[in-house]
This record gives sequence, C-alpha cells and structure tokens, in this order.
Amino acid sequence: MNKIFALTKKELHSFFSSPIAYIILIVMLSLFNVFFFLIIDQNREVSLRDVFQLMEFMLVFFIPLLTMRLFSEEKSNGTMEFLLTAPLTHTMIVLGKYLSMLIFYSLLIGLTLIYYFIVEYYGEPDPLSILSGYLGIWLEGAFFIAVGLLASSWTSNQIIAAMVSYLILFSLYFSTSFTQYVSGSAEHFLIQLSTHTHLENFAIGIITPSDVVYYLAGILLCLVLTRLSIDNRLWH
Amino acid sequence: MLIVKQISKNFGSFQALHKVSFEMNKGDIVGLLGKNGAGKTTLMRILTSFITASYGTVLIDGDDINKHSLSVRQKIGYLPEKPPLYGDMTVQYYLKFAAEIKGVPKNQQLSQLAKVLEECDLQQVKQKTIATLSKGYKQRVGIAQAIIHEPKLLILDEPTSGLDPMQIQQVLALIKNQRDQRTVLLSTHSLTEIEQVAQRVLMIKSGEIVLDDTLEALLKNKDPTRSQPLTLEQVFINHHQPQTLDAALQVSDE
Repeated sequence: MNKIFALTKKELHSFFSSPIAYIILIVMLSLFNVFFFLIIDQNREVSLRDVFQLMEFMLVFFIPLLTMRLFSEEKSNGTMEFLLTAPLTHTMIVLGKYLSMLIFYSLLIGLTLIYYFIVEYYGEPDPLSILSGYLGIWLEGAFFIAVGLLASSWTSNQIIAAMVSYLILFSLYFSTSFTQYVSGSAEHFLIQLSTHTHLENFAIGIITPSDVVYYLAGILLCLVLTRLSIDNRLWH
Repeated sequence: MLIVKQISKNFGSFQALHKVSFEMNKGDIVGLLGKNGAGKTTLMRILTSFITASYGTVLIDGDDINKHSLSVRQKIGYLPEKPPLYGDMTVQYYLKFAAEIKGVPKNQQLSQLAKVLEECDLQQVKQKTIATLSKGYKQRVGIAQAIIHEPKLLILDEPTSGLDPMQIQQVLALIKNQRDQRTVLLSTHSLTEIEQVAQRVLMIKSGEIVLDDTLEALLKNKDPTRSQPLTLEQVFINHHQPQTLDAALQVSDE
C-alpha cells in the first residue's frame, strides 16, 4: 500500500506543480457556481437534481483534461521505464495514478457541498436525495476518470488521449440519442449504456443496485483494461 | 550473480537477440560494447524485466526474472539511456520518491537519501528542480535513483552519452566506486570508457555475443607479427569490419 500511496502523492505533487490543476479547479468551480445559482433562481425549488445533471455534462468535458497526462506524459518523458523497472506491480501503478485523480476529483466535488447549505438556507431540502445525488455524481466522475486513465495508457500523445476519452465519454453520455434508430433489446441496451440514465435515479434520490453496479463495473473494467494495456505495452 | 542462458528476442519477424548467454560474478564491472542497433538496449531491457525474452532464461542472484519479477527488480538498479527524471521535482523529492517505490524501509529512507546525495555529489543541488540542472547533474541524479535501494546489480545504458569530457570523468569515477558494492553492467559506444572502468568486455553484434573476454586478455598482443599490442578500438573494428583493421595495421606497420 505504501508504494501505491507514494505514487498517488507523486501524481498529486506533479499535478499541483503545474498551473493546470488550479486552472481546472477554478474554472470548474466557477462554472458550477454560476449554473447552480442560475438553476436555483430559475427552478425556485430546494433540490439539486438539475445541478447534478449539469455537473455531469461538464464532467464529460473536463475529466479528459485531468486524465490525459497520466500515462501519456510518463511515456513521452521516458519515465514509464523507470516505473516499470521498479519493484512495483502494474496494478500498483494503475491504482496509484487512479487514486490521485480520484482524490483531486473528490476535493472538487467536496467543495460543492456548500450548495446543500445554501439551499437549506432557503427551504427544507431532502438531505437523503441530495446525498444520493452526490454519491451518483461522485461515482460517475470516478468512472470517467477510469475511462480517461485507460485512454491515456494507449498513447504517448496527451491530445490523442484526451480525444479518445472524449469519444468514449460522449458515446456513453449520448447513447440514448441513437435509440430512435433502433428498437427492442438494442434500444434497451443503448438506454442502459448511457451514463445519463443511471445518474437520473441518483439525482432524484433513488439508489438502485443496478445503477451502482453500472458505475463500479465500468470502473473495474477500465482499470483491468488499463492494467492489460500496460502488460501488453500497446503503447510501446 | 547474473546468469543469462540462451536468450532470444523477436520483434515480429526481426530477431533483435539470438541465443545470448553469459554470466557475471559479484563485483564484476562488465562493459557491453556494440554498434547502434546491435541489441544492447534490448538485452538490458530484458535483464530489467522491462520486456520479456522470447526464449531463454535469466537468473539474477538465483531468481528467475520471469518467475520472481518483483524480487528481481528489487535487486536491480537501472539507468536507461535517457535518464528517467521528473523535471518538475526537486532532486531531493525525486530521490525520496524513488526510495519509496523501490521499497527502502521508511526508517532508512533519509539515511539512504543522504548517502546517495553524498556519493553522487548532489548535495549542492538537492533543492533544485531537476529541469534546471545541467546534463551532467541529471545523469548523476539518474545514477542516484538507480542505487538508492542498494541493488546488487547495476545496469547502466550509455550513462555518459551527451556529456562533456569533465562530466564523463565524474560519471566514470562514480561507476568505478560501485565496484566494491555491486555488480555493474555498462553499455557504451566509448572504448576508452570501457578501458577505464571495466574488467571484462562483452561485444554484441547483430543480436549475438561475438566476444566475451577480460580486458587484459583482449589487449594482449596475440599476433606475434605485430610490434604493438592491439587497442580495444582495434579489437572492436576487427569484429565489425576486419578488412578496415587489416588495412590500418598494414599502414601502421609500414
């Protein structure tokens, strides 16, 4: 575990040594705040349901920017050789990097918890549905980070890594848009594939096992594929 | 310490290494010579578990690298051709990170850090960001990360590449100092460097070991018709372009 945490610490150190971490943090929080107040002002209800759905849309754009460098930078700098010849398992490397972004993302989401207290000031929100929404948006971000990590393990080029992440995330997010062209089980599959479908339940305070399993399975699948990508050096 | 048995490596239809075998004993400093593309880096990458051999086995301190990859990597220090450095870190932070991921016990990390800073003469730059260092210092930081966990086998891939003559001497002195503590495999194009630090030479050509002998034996004049003993450079040329050497020796004898 110590080695995983050492990698996590190093990733966070590198991330916060560059302006990108601060820029992303400030831009995302600013946008969240602006849209939070616009939505609250427009809806006039003590619920964060629409805020969560907007946050989800913004995560599709921002998370690839967070994750694009994770493996691509190591590969282009020649430091991947350093990690892979150190007494570390490939799983440790994947988890160390994944945890670092998860911590950063948790910090970002944690800073928006103030929204609950703001809506509470104006009314009596349902704390459980807000908690459920936060759990949903956290799981969704964790899934998106795993997708970004996987894309980053495929290439030494950060731009390509971001583009591949966008392609996967947009496909997942907008998969319901293609339901008009299919029917039956294919339509059901596209609906279930959509991240939007699964967050909707969380946002209205419903936590179902299938939604939780969707995110956890997605995370696990991406982490396993990332590990396999490193094992097979598809990027090498 | 190191036993390499019949290893071959294929990249698709290209054979980078063909049935390479050699052994190294504790405390040996062995120079690995060969032209660009001869297979030196491939061999080193196999020894460090970065890539796997297509055939053959490698034993390091008794452990098979395929079966005990983690414990083998614990015993190896490796400096690739391009030092694997994080430009945004300070020297001290980077070496501490290297100590952590290489499994140096927490209570020994600071003492190991102080030791390699001293040994590699990095004290005065330990707070500097790696990106701001000269190439010579970067190379020494690269060596420091390779030895911070006290490996038994140190593998250095062209550690003097791109350095000025003064920096080369500093790095070579550092390598020489490793002799008492560990076994060293050093790859280089420079025959002078091999003569300065190695006791034994392995020459690799088109993926095959074509020469494995002590430096002393190599430099002995084995040809009674020649008045001067061979230089390592002549030995090298003889294995790669024998006609060129014959012509050169004829001119020098005349």
